Amino acid sequence: MTTLPLRFADVILPKSGTRVSLEVPEHRTVSVQGAEESGVDALPSYALALTRPSAGQVFLFGEEIAMLPERAALAFRRRVGYLPAGDGLLQNLTLSSNVALPLRFGSDLSEREIRGRLQIMLAMVRIADAASLRPADATDEQRRRTALARALAFDPQLLILADPFDGLTVRAAAELLEIARGGESGAGARRAVFVTGQSVPARIEPRVDLRYRLANGELTIDT
Amino acid sequence: MTAPVAALGGEVARAVAWVGALARFFVETLRAVPWLTRAGRRVAAQVLLRQVWFTALQAIPLLVVLASILSFLVISQATRELGRLGATELIGRLMVVVIVRELGPLLTALTVAGRSGTAIATELATNKVMGELNALRGMGIDPLHYHVLPRLGAAIISVFGLIVVFDLVAIFAGHVAASSAGMTGGRYYDIVLQSLTIRDVWLTAAKGLIFGIIVGMIPCFHGLAIRGRPTDVPIASSQAVVASILTIFVCSGLFVVFL
Repeated sequence: MTTLPLRFADVILPKSGTRVSLEVPEHRTVSVQGAEESGVDALPSYALALTRPSAGQVFLFGEEIAMLPERAALAFRRRVGYLPAGDGLLQNLTLSSNVALPLRFGSDLSEREIRGRLQIMLAMVRIADAASLRPADATDEQRRRTALARALAFDPQLLILADPFDGLTVRAAAELLEIARGGESGAGARRAVFVTGQSVPARIEPRVDLRYRLANGELTIDT
Repeated sequence: MTAPVAALGGEVARAVAWVGALARFFVETLRAVPWLTRAGRRVAAQVLLRQVWFTALQAIPLLVVLASILSFLVISQATRELGRLGATELIGRLMVVVIVRELGPLLTALTVAGRSGTAIATELATNKVMGELNALRGMGIDPLHYHVLPRLGAAIISVFGLIVVFDLVAIFAGHVAASSAGMTGGRYYDIVLQSLTIRDVWLTAAKGLIFGIIVGMIPCFHGLAIRGRPTDVPIASSQAVVASILTIFVCSGLFVVFL
């Protein structure tokens, strides 16, 4: 029996009070779209137990991490890739140092191994030329690509993307989603991806397996 | 009629709550130390070194100027006045107690609080507004490990090191002042060294440690305590500096009273 990467059970969202129950299965890309007042932006924080919902439970790989002590929750979060809204890059580090940070902090890899892996990551998200820039000097797209590379640092089974396409061209958004999915395996995408935000560009909607919409206090499946 | 008393009570209650919250933050920070992994220690050490560069090394010119002027003024005046009374030997005790033990640590801590405390509080508050702290936690990195511990360590090292610099420069400036008043260098250093006791040394060292903790912890506490609105950043910065300065003065007073 496989464990669901992510499951929300009767979680109440702030602002709208919407009750949310949904699952993110393995190898599937799931999106939840909604206006700002729907409270959609709280879902990634709830998923990682960065904040706790007023009601309901969230299970990450079968574990309710909101109930774990903070130290254990921190270690558990390394199994998940997270791209926060607004990218969350550290402004005093270069783009490449931002990507390397989780590896430097959370792995026992040598500096040489980290540099090798870094080159691959930077090439994969196509920011190798901009790697020495600081976030303030980079474009929105470069920052988003960097944040995605950072989220993929540990090659996680689940990736949580908050507002990942905001302000990007459709082409860049499609490319980022493909990188996030990690290519195709026999069962679907290589990793599970959970996308939240106000909208997913129409042209990349077919690449999303399950699309939910938050509106009028209800969560509905987009068909 | 009771309004002033109520207002005073409110202020006292806020102060007590603040001390409690700060103490809890300090304990949480200390409890985070054993959880810092080997890899994390490497990164934290790099952050610490960067912070020492900014907090200590870049502050040396300012401290040298302050120490020189203060010591020169005090010793040149004292040499003249004490010379009239035939008590120039007291210059040594004056130098050790007033400058090396009291004003050196106090002015150093105030300088670091004003210079780096503002920067730390502003940086951390901005990080919080920009979502960097949540991003760190989302990556499994404890902000206490990445932000607070290195800054605390750097503040302790910096304040301690800068007090040594301040005191050495002050002693040398005192020599210049004493020489200009006709005292030989050998005589001046004899008086100063004879006045210096082990108690003076450990008291100065203890102040370096305590003031370092104050200068490191309070700005981090205020920087991380904001709710996440951009307008909170300058408020956090201002509160951090005022609270640091007040705490340094209070602790300086407590040192005099109890030690």
